[in-house]
This record gives sequence, structure tokens and C-alpha cells, in this order.
Amino acid sequence: MGRLIGMMLQTVQNYNPPPPITNNSVSLWTHISDALQQSVYRVLSLFIAVLPGILAVFVALTLFTLIGMGLSLLLRRVLAFVKFDERLNRGNPEWTPSSSPTMLIARGAFWGCVLLGLVIGISAFDASYSTGTPLPISLLPYLTKMVGAILVMIAGTVIARFLARSVLIGAVNAQLQYARFLSLGVKWLVLVLTAAMVLDHLEVGGKIVELAFGILFGGIVLTLALAVGLGSRDLVSRSLEGRAEPKPERVPPPEVVPKPVEPIRHETIRHF
Amino acid sequence: MATANTVSNEQATATATRADLLVFVAPMPPEQLESIFGNLAAEFRGEELLVATANDPTGTSHPEIRVVPVQATNAVWPVAAVDFVNAVHAAKENEAKAVLVLGPGADSLNPSALRGLVNSVLESKSDLAVPHYSLPPNAGLVNSAIIYPLTRALFASRVRFPLSIDMALSFRMAEKLGNTAQKFVNQNQPDAIVWPVSEAMVAGLSIDEVDVGTRELPQPAEPNINAILSLVTGSLFADIEAKAAFWQRPRRLLPEHRAFSALPSVEGAVDIAPMVEAFRLAFTNLQEIWGLVLAPNSLLGLKRLSVVDPAAFRMPETLWARVVFDFLVAYRLRTINRGHLMGALIPLYLAWVAGHLNVLGSGTDAEVHVEAVAAAFESEKQYIVSRWRWPDRFNS
Repeated sequence: MGRLIGMMLQTVQNYNPPPPITNNSVSLWTHISDALQQSVYRVLSLFIAVLPGILAVFVALTLFTLIGMGLSLLLRRVLAFVKFDERLNRGNPEWTPSSSPTMLIARGAFWGCVLLGLVIGISAFDASYSTGTPLPISLLPYLTKMVGAILVMIAGTVIARFLARSVLIGAVNAQLQYARFLSLGVKWLVLVLTAAMVLDHLEVGGKIVELAFGILFGGIVLTLALAVGLGSRDLVSRSLEGRAEPKPERVPPPEVVPKPVEPIRHETIRHF
Repeated sequence: MATANTVSNEQATATATRADLLVFVAPMPPEQLESIFGNLAAEFRGEELLVATANDPTGTSHPEIRVVPVQATNAVWPVAAVDFVNAVHAAKENEAKAVLVLGPGADSLNPSALRGLVNSVLESKSDLAVPHYSLPPNAGLVNSAIIYPLTRALFASRVRFPLSIDMALSFRMAEKLGNTAQKFVNQNQPDAIVWPVSEAMVAGLSIDEVDVGTRELPQPAEPNINAILSLVTGSLFADIEAKAAFWQRPRRLLPEHRAFSALPSVEGAVDIAPMVEAFRLAFTNLQEIWGLVLAPNSLLGLKRLSVVDPAAFRMPETLWARVVFDFLVAYRLRTINRGHLMGALIPLYLAWVAGHLNVLGSGTDAEVHVEAVAAAFESEKQYIVSRWRWPDRFNS
């Protein structure tokens, strides 16, 4: 106890009061200023490092867009000059797209050039980023992955809509009462799968995404299975009963003469 | 380039001979072939006749009929493009003046019907002679609902069965059809449907309709209405799209001047409740898809129809015409996937069938109703021409 009190007294004797805040504010602001300057320096350094890459993207995109426009115009003129549409229609009268073949080829060339410019620009950006700056910024890798993620998202959305419509029309024509529910289930299955793929591609979430995807996907499948199963309960039970208990053959008693049963006339509909 | 000239050169040389008439017989069971040979032998005795068929003619009791073999095809119904190519090739090889095409089940045709078809081409100088079948009112419903009214309204032809599986062709008509069919074969679509009536109308060739009485029409191998309606209607829509430059010009329908056999009467009743229920279910679920295809007025008409009692259920003729025209425009514009489009048409077609059966049940003659439907299509032709040219004008 005496030792403890001795230590406390020594601490009080050695205590130096802090300097007045007015004296220390200069050094505090100096620290803040330094930190800010260093941060700005880092960001500007990074920006300067990736600026050529960003410019490369815009230059490549602009250049190839212009090339695409020129190529498209040239193709349209040349194909019109050689009467490409008429020649193609002579060989193939069942041309069904709403645009003419010349227009389709010209548009294909234009968008091909744009896509090429985008790919080249992103490659240049990627190269300048990885070699030009020693400072990692976690958002930058996503810029290159973002394109792939967007493509996956677009493809997933289109596929989801296509499958949802296919299921809806098929189920309606099969006269399933839960057609819309089935269609929605399929649509969300594909959308959830797409979302998981996009997040996985962007490396966001990690295990959480996998876990959430598994739970959601399994949940939707289970819900659909329950809905279909409950909806078809009568059908299944009738089928099982029919298999388990074959109907005994009815033998009319000999003394009873069975009356001829008038068949119900249902004229068959022949669509063709 | 693929070709369907399937008779080998050696075979053609061995069998090449002059014949005024070449009869192309579609693949069919031996007993049907025997019956057709009997009819041909009885009706065309002593005439230069040549039969082209993929069936095995050995064993038939008519050795006097000359047969040239053609390649067997998988097509069952209707007569496929490759069959036309084979028939025309055989006709050219043998310098035939006319071609008689007999589809599956042609043994049920009266022999005089065969003579009538051939005479129409060889003596009356028609280019295309198509049969007018006497079918029960409950048969050939896709034809009555869609094929006949559309063909009549757009191509100004009164032919009641534009997709007939028997026909007689002049040589130039056969050449025309052969060329069209060859294009399908070249595109690797040997089973594609060829539409002789529209081909003849576009080429300015004459068409005659011959009363042949009753006939057992073969049913498609695939009984699923969904698949078959899509196949036939899709093919018809594609044909109409390809000939848009022709049918957009106004044409006068020639007046009817011939009477045909009365239709067999209907016995029994059909339960239309499932068809009405199918339509109501579709109306509940397919609003989004129909909304992309149909004009607002058509949707409103369907909404009113969806609450009608099954006993009084009847799709108005004008509404049906506009619905079909809307689907035709959507097919052209690819508003939605074409498979989806055809699938979305099925409940509407069933609604028309239900209404048609109700009309028959009320004592109205089936042909009267079908003619009323065709007249509605004709009166709405301006609608399809306008929508075809300016599709967006009708979306508000």
C-alpha cells in the first residue's frame, strides 16, 4: 500500500502540464496540412499516372467510332452500288429482318469498330495503370472488370426475360393456373444467378455472395417445387391411386340385363 | 449448293418418256397407294400417265401404270417443298404437260375428282386447280379462322382451301412452284410449306377451284395444336411478308359464280367451356405480351370478351380480323420473339373456335359464319395496310 502511494506521488511530481493550445495549434495544422498535401500529392500522382490511360480510352473510342462511321458509310455506298440487297433477295426471298441486309452489314461494321476501340482503350488503360503507378487504389481494377460485369448483366437480363416469357406462354397454353407464378420464379432464378455472377466477377462480397446466392436460389427452387407440387396435388394423388389400386372388373349380375348406355356425343374438333 | 433433284441421272434416263400427265403421289401406306392406282387406272385408262412416287410400287395390281421413283422424304403433312421439287423435276424429265399432286390420304378422293382437277388444267387451261373439300363444320378450323380469310383479303382469292394437299398444275405453274420450293431446299428447309395460291396470284396465273366432295384429310404427325398452329401460321405470315409489295396494292375480289357441295351436318355438341377458360386464363396472364402486340382497341375488345358467359361467347369478326392483323404486323416487326408470338396467338384462336362453335350451335350455317369472318378481314384490309406502313401510329 505504501509502495502504491509512493508511485502515485512520483507520478504527480513528474507530471508536465500540456502546452497551451494556442501554442500547439500551429503544429496541429501543420500535421493536417502535411497529411492533406501528401494525400493530394498521392491522388494527383495517381491521376497523372493513369491520365494517359484514360486519354487513351477516349482517343481510341473516338478514333474507332470515326473509323466505324466512315466504314459504315463506305459499305452502304458500295453495297448500294453493287445492288447487294436485290442480289441477296433474288437468292433468298424469305429475308425476314425488318432492316435491309445492307443496313445490317453497315451497322455491324460500325458497332464492331466501336467495340474494337473500347477493347483497345481499356487494354491501354489497364497497361498504363499497372505499370505507371505504384499506388494501389482498390476501385481502379473494377473499371476494367466493369465492362465484363455489364455484359454479363445485360445477357442475364435478356435471358431472364426470354425464359420468363417462354415459361409463361407455355404454362398458359398448358392451362396451368399458376403460370404467372412459375414465370416469375424462373425469371428471378436467372436474375439471382446473374447478380451472383456479376458480384463474383467484380470480386465483391466474397463468401457472403456465395452464401446468399445459395440461400436465395435454393429458396426459389423450393418455393417453385412446393407451388407446382401443391397445385398438382389432385393430379398426383389420382395418378398414385390409379396405380396402387387397380379397379376391379365389374361383372354385372346375371339376372340384371345391363341397359345400353347412350354415349355422350362430343364431336372431335379438327384444327386441320 | 444443296439440291433436291433426287432422281439420279441413271434412273431418269432409264425412265424418261413422254407423258401428258405426271401424277406425284406423296409418301403413304401401301394400301392407300394401291387404291390410288386403282382410281388412276379407272379414270385415265388409255392415256399417257406417269406416276412419280417414293412409295414402293412393286406388288400393286396395276403394272400398266408407269412409275418413276423419287427420293423418300420425312414430310407427312402438308406437301413439303422437297416434294414439289421432286415432282417438278420428274415432270421436266418426262416432258409432262401437267402435274397432279396427290397428298397423303388421297385414296379417299372420288376418282371423278382426280379427273376434274386434271381437266381444269389440261382442257380449261387453268394454271392451278385446287380442290374444294366438303369437310365437317368442326374440321379445318385453322383454315377457316386464319388461312382462308387472310388469303382472301390480301391476295384476293376465293380459294377456300389455300393449303390444299391435292392440286393440279400446268407446266408453267409447276415450274414456278418448283423454283420457289428449290429456294427453300437450298436454305436447308426441305419441309417448308409452299403456298401455291399466293404464288399463282403474284405470278398472275389463273386459278380454278374444283368441287371434289368429301375427303379424309390427314392430320399432322404432331397432334399438339401449339406446334402445328405455330408452324402453319408462321409460314403463312412469312409468305405474306415476302409478298408485301403485291398485296398492299388494292385488288378486286372476283365474284363467286360457282356453287359447291353442301357440308356434312354436325352431330353432337362440343364443350366449349375449356376453350373459354383457356382464353380467360390467357387474358389474365398474357396482358403484358398482348399489350406489346395488339392495338389498344383490340385489347379493350378482348377485355369485354373475357367477361362474356360461355353460352353467349362469340368473338366479333372485326375484332378477330384486327387481332390477326396485329399479330401479322408484330411478326414482321419482330416485336417479340416469333415463337412467343405464335404461342400468344393460340388462346385467341381457341376463343375464336369457341365462338364459332357457339354460332354453329345456334343453327347458323358454318360457311355463312366463315364467309362473314372473311368479309370482315376484307373490310379491315386498309387497317393492315396502314399498320404495315406506319406501325407506330396505332400504338396510342
